[in-house]
Amino acid sequence: MMRDYLLVYINGQRHEIRGEEAFFSLSDYLRYTRGLTGTKVVCAEGDCGACTIIRGSLRDGREDLHYEGINACITFMHLMDCTHIVTVEGLQDNGSLNPVQQAMIDHHGAQCGFCTPGFICAMSDHANHCAYQSERPVEQLETQRLRNALTGNLCRCTGYAPILNAGESIDLKAFTPLQQRYDTPEMLSDLQAHASHSVQIQTRERLFYAPNNLRDAAEFRVRRPESRIFSSATDMGVLINKEKSDPVVITNLSRIPEAHSLREENGQIVVGARVSLSQLENFCRSRIPEFARLMRIFASPQIKNKGTLVGNIANASPIADTLPFLFVAEAEIELYSTQGTRRVNINRFYTGYKQLDMRPDELISRVYIPMLPKDEILRLYKVSNRKDLDISTFTAAIRLQLDTQRQITGAAIAYGGVGPVVMRLPRTEASLIGCPLDVASFAAAGKLAREEITPISDVRASADYRYQLAENILRKCQAELEEQTSEAVVF
Amino acid sequence: MTTSLPHDSAWGHVTGQSVFIDDRAPLRGELHVGVVGSPIAHGRIKSINLAAAKALPGVAGVFTAADLHHNIWGTIIQDQPLLADQTVNFIGEPLVVIAAEDRETLKIAKRLVKLDLEPLTPILSIGEARQQQQFIAVKRTIQRGDLAAAFASAEHVLEGVFENGGQDHFYLESNCAVVYPGERGNLEVHSSSQHPTEVQHLVAEALGLKQHQVTCIVKRMGGGFGGKESQAAPFAVFAALAAQKLGRPARLVLSKDEDMVMTGKRHPFQTDYKVGFNAEGRIVAAEIHLYSDGGAYADLSTSVLERAMLHSDNAYYLPVALITGQICRTHTPPNTAFRGFGGPQGVAVIEHILEDMAIYLNKDAYAVRRRNCYEGERNTTPYGQVVENNVLPQLFDGLHASADYARRREEIAAFNAASQTQIKGLAMTAVKFGISFTTRFLNQGNALVNLHRDGSFQVSTGATEMGQGVHTKIAQIVAEVFDVPATQVMVMATSTERNHNTSPTAASSGTDINGAAAQLAAEQIRDRLAACVAAHFEQPERGPLEEIELDMVRSHAHIVFEKGEIYHRDQPELRISFEDAVNMAYLNRISLSGYGFFKIPGIGFDKEQGVGTPFRYFTNGVAASEVLIDRFTGELKVLRTDILMDLGRPINEAIDYGQVSGAFVQGMGWVTSENLVMNPEGHLLSHSPTTYKIPNIQDTPRQFNIKLLSNHEAKNVRGSKAVGEPPLLLGLSVWAAVKNALSYANGRQLTGLKIPATAESILRELGAAEAAHAPQPVA
Ligand SMILES: Cc1cc2nc3c(=O)[nH]c(=O)nc-3n(C[C@H](O)[C@H](O)[C@H](O)COP(=O)(O)OP(=O)(O)OC[C@H]3O[C@@H](n4cnc5c(N)ncnc54)[C@H](O)[C@@H]3O)c2cc1C
Ligand code: FES
Ligand code: FES
Repeated sequence: MMRDYLLVYINGQRHEIRGEEAFFSLSDYLRYTRGLTGTKVVCAEGDCGACTIIRGSLRDGREDLHYEGINACITFMHLMDCTHIVTVEGLQDNGSLNPVQQAMIDHHGAQCGFCTPGFICAMSDHANHCAYQSERPVEQLETQRLRNALTGNLCRCTGYAPILNAGESIDLKAFTPLQQRYDTPEMLSDLQAHASHSVQIQTRERLFYAPNNLRDAAEFRVRRPESRIFSSATDMGVLINKEKSDPVVITNLSRIPEAHSLREENGQIVVGARVSLSQLENFCRSRIPEFARLMRIFASPQIKNKGTLVGNIANASPIADTLPFLFVAEAEIELYSTQGTRRVNINRFYTGYKQLDMRPDELISRVYIPMLPKDEILRLYKVSNRKDLDISTFTAAIRLQLDTQRQITGAAIAYGGVGPVVMRLPRTEASLIGCPLDVASFAAAGKLAREEITPISDVRASADYRYQLAENILRKCQAELEEQTSEAVVF
Repeated sequence: MTTSLPHDSAWGHVTGQSVFIDDRAPLRGELHVGVVGSPIAHGRIKSINLAAAKALPGVAGVFTAADLHHNIWGTIIQDQPLLADQTVNFIGEPLVVIAAEDRETLKIAKRLVKLDLEPLTPILSIGEARQQQQFIAVKRTIQRGDLAAAFASAEHVLEGVFENGGQDHFYLESNCAVVYPGERGNLEVHSSSQHPTEVQHLVAEALGLKQHQVTCIVKRMGGGFGGKESQAAPFAVFAALAAQKLGRPARLVLSKDEDMVMTGKRHPFQTDYKVGFNAEGRIVAAEIHLYSDGGAYADLSTSVLERAMLHSDNAYYLPVALITGQICRTHTPPNTAFRGFGGPQGVAVIEHILEDMAIYLNKDAYAVRRRNCYEGERNTTPYGQVVENNVLPQLFDGLHASADYARRREEIAAFNAASQTQIKGLAMTAVKFGISFTTRFLNQGNALVNLHRDGSFQVSTGATEMGQGVHTKIAQIVAEVFDVPATQVMVMATSTERNHNTSPTAASSGTDINGAAAQLAAEQIRDRLAACVAAHFEQPERGPLEEIELDMVRSHAHIVFEKGEIYHRDQPELRISFEDAVNMAYLNRISLSGYGFFKIPGIGFDKEQGVGTPFRYFTNGVAASEVLIDRFTGELKVLRTDILMDLGRPINEAIDYGQVSGAFVQGMGWVTSENLVMNPEGHLLSHSPTTYKIPNIQDTPRQFNIKLLSNHEAKNVRGSKAVGEPPLLLGLSVWAAVKNALSYANGRQLTGLKIPATAESILRELGAAEAAHAPQPVA
């Protein structure tokens, strides 16, 4: 069945959205169409969190909705189909403040107030998660997790201390889960019934198409080669808001059930096209802890709740944070078209700056990440001007196999931010074979690494700094292995 | 009454109900206004072709300099066109104003404006401006003592050049205004401005109106930090221009990128210095030549420079000193007020010098600072003001103990000796911040207090609310005069209709000036009420034609206001509720309004001579910060910060705590991650939060202890002290701690570390150290 409208609920109220409005950004729709001006817009690029709202969506294995914070400024209404949007206006509990709101008043967590609705949403989402949604509910918010949960929200007034004080004081027992507040059986069955439909919305200028199976998606790629696939638009939304792109034919895979699948199979993690980075981070926590650790400093919760691995790969940025890891892990990309599927090793997927080994009629349907043997060493690094919620200056993945004498028998090294694409360093890798884990070997490897790269100077850093990092990161890896430390919480 | 009453907008903020300018529902016919700025840093305007933009359906009006009645402005020196007409002097300098029916059309119309500009070579740095002798205004000097003799007697001399970068305010709400045209040519301007009076005056002047035809209203700002002191006004003018010409409501809301490109920032400085000191690390002479980057026009630069000069001593006694200041003219947006207003730049230099002296002498920097701290007889500043009620030594000693400085110093040395991967540093810096506008006439304010018949108050002052809680504090001050709950007092949106000729809410003075004026106004009402109640107690029964006559000559000190009641001190059974007294006063035709006027007494500074008493008092504090640096990447984390401040007797302790925490973190951002990057053509590359990194919640110190010294400032309202700016300067403790950390790697070699200490610059310094110590491995 095909619909010509989007179904969304906002603070429990049902809306069908048709025509032009389907292409509005969520923040504009809330502010200017619905008059819900509590949601603020500051940067319109996902970097400040002032526009944070809580999205409830259907998830496999859940009876009720899964709620999580996302940035409204880089989301479009067509991406909100079959969701429930809770804004700051919807957080009061039967007319009285929820415990997060009360704590923020009591602890002076708001000064000018412009960031506050975003913080209230992010913190309420976190409280909801900790009190109800998590596998191990707790009664109090723990400071470091609170910081992690609020990483996507900037405040220029408070210095954050009063906000942390507020968060730490909350009694989660008094928090009514959003699911209890809002998830009526009517709403749930309405959303479920709509979720299997495909959607097509045509206006004079624009076309949105969300098929409910891969085959239709592939056929559409052939029919409309100019169409742009939107995954969650954390990259696309920024381009559109900053007037650098304006696709008029848009397709989206979110109505396709298998796109949401994330599983472990034959020693591989299989990631569907619409699996979010948060889901992946959680999934990897026990399976590839080093990757989960890196994902902690990937963007912000709001971005990761939306953004997808496939989007990160297809966006083809040389500073995409997941790529060095996927390179050394020898991940494979599954490409789908009307002519069938093929799998490409990610090490051969990028052919030049933002150039992919992908035909116009193809789309990425899955990613396969091999699990690493337990006795191997994997170290992932991200260097940025601000440790959290920043785009990388330099990234690195180092994977080592050792023999029983702790001599290196295999090495895979991938760097990002040092050339037009993420790259492996074959000479540096080779130089380490047969070496012990000592300073001299890694210092020499570091010198060699300099020769394999071609970084540039830009707004984030000079080429010199990147050269130095390329050298130092190997020494850092060695020193950490020797000290048996790794960048703990603080870095 | 709790002294930590919540912010008066807190409920609205947490529920999303607080209304900011762009949250106002559009009125019928409202237009969207935008600005087209210069794409080049310097050039001659040959022509501006508006035909295509005007022809676009949905464009209501397109305006240029020719449409303004008066096109030159400047808060101190009038040298800046509102809309450039001959030359352009910075990227983003406004040229064309467009009004359109909707946002989408406005966006397209902006792209249709065709500018023909002849590029000229821009000056983009202080160095170039100094070389080409491009200065704004005159050179200023502060001098004390015989420099040559003092340097001759010094055992050691260090000299060098110190640089600090700028800082974007990054208030979350970008500049915006909405203007409603009214009858008789009147305009009602809602602006996100710290200075509604200036907006009113500038709109009137630019559009050829009388000042009484323009009302400027400021309900609240989504942050200001100085960035909306002078620079909010032109944007209000642009919206007003469209509203006036088209007779329709007009709204202008800048995007963050536009705001960051178009508006001025904290001034970068380049400072030549020379300091002479003895073997114990006591300064005997200092020579400090400050060069600020004023940008293209004067804006507030002369006052900012003056404050930088007046803070070059900071908490330290300079027996002999020469301090000079010059403003460089560059082709960048005019730099402007930013929390601290030059103070941080002045203080950075001396804190840098002290840190270097310690490294040079191989002494602990705390000891060197403590030795130079104002104390005892060593208590006059280079400009001749005496540091009264000096608590600086007490603050230093107090924090040294409570932050466990000595023990941690040892731990850090041990850690640094052992760790291959990380390095730590610890430093304590101080702030002695002069309170008062250095321009004397600004130190005045007025307030209107209206008492309604149910005993509730409306208070209006010139203070604008930008999150700092000034309205809450003023409500508390007024409530205290009557000892009624502060919730009975509502501080109203700031409006030039109720309070005129006001000063900007700046220089940390919002509460000092406006709170004092409100207190005076409230006391007028209280005195009348007291007289009324006194008369009533003397003659409780009155005939139908009898009316209470006020005796304002006699003292009514025996009438006590307490907990919502008024009673006779000696006969406490004589009492009346506050509400009943108010109503009785009304029925007896007694005014329930007060108008207070306040000016700060006892201040004055001779700018030409560089001597005087510019400040009513000083707000003082100290901070100790500990940092952790990654030896291989230069990345930085602040592990712990302890702050001890003297804020007098705070009116609202929780608000003051928030000011300290917020200002500190903002200062920390300035000295670490906030890096304004410009390309060789003068384009700001870091013009949004993707590339301009203010501190995140993960950056706020892991351990953050803020303590206040209990004190009472007799010279200020309610015994409190101003708090807005001073703690920002304590962010420098983080920067000094980086220098300290580097000294563990570099030995006694001095580093060239500047502000900001980015990861890249830290790694460069570490690399230099490594090269110097080769062939040893990093350790
Ligand atoms: C504030 C902010 C912070 C960020 N921080 C980081 C960070 O720390 N590290 C990092 O690496 N990235 C970061 N990003 C970038 C971005 O979030 C990631 O690249 C994200 O993974 C993109 O996923 P998406 O689903 O949003 O992709 P989209 O924006 O929807 O799409 C990205 C690209 O992929 C294409 N595409 C999408 N799906 C498919 C498909 N199935 N087949 C073929 N092509 C497809 C799209 O056409 C588009 O070109 C950040 C972005 C923002 C806004
Ligand atoms: S407005 Fe900044 S993240 Fe959305
Ligand atoms: S309270 Fe002003 S930005 Fe957070």
